[in-house]
Amino acid sequence: MTDAAIPRPRANVAREAGRFVPGQPDMWAFVLFEAFVFTAYFAVYVFSRARSHELFVASQAHLDLRVGVLNTLVLLTSSWLVARCVRAARAGSYRAATANALATVVAGLVFLVSKVLEWKAEIGRGFTFTSDEFFSFYYFLTAIHFLHLLIGFGALAIAIRELRSPARRSQVTVETCATYWHTIDFLWVLIFALLYVLR
Amino acid sequence: MNGRLGNRLIVVWLALCAITLAQLAVGARSGPAPEGAIAAIVIGIALIKARIIFREFMEVRHAPVLLRRLTDLWIVLTGAILLGGHLAGLAVAGS
Repeated sequence: MTDAAIPRPRANVAREAGRFVPGQPDMWAFVLFEAFVFTAYFAVYVFSRARSHELFVASQAHLDLRVGVLNTLVLLTSSWLVARCVRAARAGSYRAATANALATVVAGLVFLVSKVLEWKAEIGRGFTFTSDEFFSFYYFLTAIHFLHLLIGFGALAIAIRELRSPARRSQVTVETCATYWHTIDFLWVLIFALLYVLR
Repeated sequence: MNGRLGNRLIVVWLALCAITLAQLAVGARSGPAPEGAIAAIVIGIALIKARIIFREFMEVRHAPVLLRRLTDLWIVLTGAILLGGHLAGLAVAGS
């Protein structure tokens, strides 16, 4: 499905050889900054958890591990789809790239809905932000991640807008948006391990 | 899309999903006491997954050395800080 008749933007061709930073370097600075901020959150969490291990394990038992696993598999899949989008766009297959970006949106929506339903279920069972130390961390970490997810939809919208118009189509912009989306994924991988798996 | 690259992405995606399931099996092995070794393995597996996402999905594998070093630095520092935080928490609980 290569759109052969449409010339590819200059920048796309120039970057094909050799090593390159995917997307804008500014986005990478932001991603690394965010990653270290989350490391600080995680450090406080593991410290508190080791200090009050019994409480954390007892409260954690009220989470549905299956939801956490589903969330993780869905976000890993979304990351794979957005990586496919970047590769397809680079190869000039803009229709395939758009389809993969749209599929990423769907995966993101599945995550969004499952997280909202999980919060609803936990609140329904009486576990709220102020229930105990574990649930404070649970709501804080999942909510701040959720905020990043919402911004991620904006990034995907920008990527799709670029891909759909032959006049725009900046590979750098598509890669920048993809880099942001992957960040949502790798941060969740840590959150999943800490909130759901660690016993 | 280039077939070989597409196949590599599929392998990476399947590996990440498989590692997630293996991670569950490790996490389930914990006893009632807080075990440093299991915690270290569970966090270690999460960081390996993050590194695979960096290298393969985010294309850090093909990036300049600075970006490769910085992402690896985050992995190593996060691992060290989380293990340190865990051990510090245990020490405070035990004191």
